[in-house]
Amino acid sequence: MGLDEQLQAERDRRTADEAVRLAYEEVFTTLSTNGFLPSVLPEEATFPDFVLPDTEGRLVSLASRLARGPVLVQFFRGEWCPFCRLMLDALVGALPEIEAAGASLMALTPDIGPWAREAKRNHGAMFDVLSDVDCGVGLAAGVVFRIPPIYRARLMRAGIDFADRHDNGAEFLPIPAVFLLDADGRVAWRFVNVDFTRRAAPERILSALRRLTAPERE
Amino acid sequence: MELTQVRYFVALSRLLNFTRAAEACNVSQPALTRAIQRLEDELGGPLVYRERNLTQLTELGRAMLPHLDAMLAAADNAAALAEARRRQPMASLKIGLGPGVGASAIAGAVREIATLMPDLMVRFEEAAAAMLVESMLSDMLDCAVLPADCALPERFNHWKLYEEGAVAVMPPQHRLANAASVTAADLNGEVLLHGERCGGFAQALYAACDGAFRLRRCDGGTGHMLDLVAAGLGIALLSERMAVPSPLVTCRLAEPPLSREVRLAAIAGRPQGPAVAGFIKLCRAGRGL
Repeated sequence: MGLDEQLQAERDRRTADEAVRLAYEEVFTTLSTNGFLPSVLPEEATFPDFVLPDTEGRLVSLASRLARGPVLVQFFRGEWCPFCRLMLDALVGALPEIEAAGASLMALTPDIGPWAREAKRNHGAMFDVLSDVDCGVGLAAGVVFRIPPIYRARLMRAGIDFADRHDNGAEFLPIPAVFLLDADGRVAWRFVNVDFTRRAAPERILSALRRLTAPERE
Repeated sequence: MELTQVRYFVALSRLLNFTRAAEACNVSQPALTRAIQRLEDELGGPLVYRERNLTQLTELGRAMLPHLDAMLAAADNAAALAEARRRQPMASLKIGLGPGVGASAIAGAVREIATLMPDLMVRFEEAAAAMLVESMLSDMLDCAVLPADCALPERFNHWKLYEEGAVAVMPPQHRLANAASVTAADLNGEVLLHGERCGGFAQALYAACDGAFRLRRCDGGTGHMLDLVAAGLGIALLSERMAVPSPLVTCRLAEPPLSREVRLAAIAGRPQGPAVAGFIKLCRAGRGL
């Protein structure tokens, strides 16, 4: 089963509960109508260079990864999110092909310390998992939003403690957008959807990457 | 949310004047006003009251300000560290260490900043919490690593770093030196050295149980106390994260566990260079490492 089908099955299972469906709808509707989308960094824009800590306590810079070739910057919400877990597994599966195309993958989460390490470990992720502490890089990319109240209440009931996971009381999250940057750091392609149950499947990422790296046709 | 919207809002919240905020941000006033309106649309309500002669933050504005300010600082720091990586400016890190707090847990974060900025100068100051707070207020220290039970004034930010337990430090020939762990009962008949810089573990143990051991006061540096341990004057109880020179051996105190939380503190809202902000970010991201 591909990522899209897995996500669909997970979405169907969860939204069978009407309260969950309404909480999800609140996020989708809010972000589609409150002017959030135009803030997201567009194609052709230069992704701002950044340095962030990884799960091993080392600083990793975007520029150092761009020096090797194109970079995929994938925002994710955290290991608490079932859709992120499916996506991370899919990315782990796609990593050999991403690397074969000369690209690197950087996955950014607002989760700190033990929670970011848990995500890296649970998926055996061999790519960079970085803590975007206080969502700074997410803000620079325009992907951060304030969690709306019904959805927030839902997550709190589920025991997800963002104050602890994010090490702040802000209650901001990124949409799980992915940006494909060319070696100059420009956004060559991006996947942006306010519906966090929909993600860029590896086939779409790889096809965008191949378009970027394929030798130009005569 | 957009970076410029947040930047304009933070500037406006400091100046409480649209004209001056627009000047400070180098934009036209209508552009600043539009950006703030868009941020208000996104955050779901007005952030500022606009009255003829008075600009004030609303309750939502006041509630959001510290979070937006921290997010903006994080964005600027991620970019400033990238810039520092290219330019390698001079930088310094002045770190306070509370009683009985070693530097081993934060040494990795210092290494990362020094790798990025090779001319980094590091200074540690070991002192009582109140002294470290004073030093931070007078800008002699950038931040401090402190046990969580130390009182901090309201204008300080603090972040949990780790929980730590205690170890008994003894010479290699001690009867308990080969034990996997010790309990309070094992320490019966022993002399426990304690002082102002050993983290209060010995007093906590003394208070927690009626152990038949004696306390011997030994103030001053931890290194000197460990010299006395090596000479057989007694056992020291220190944080398990404290580096202990050989041939001394450490043995985990299993019962009672005497664990304490250690946190990083810095003054809220004080401008920080990339080295300091990056160091704090590394420490937070590395919680529990």
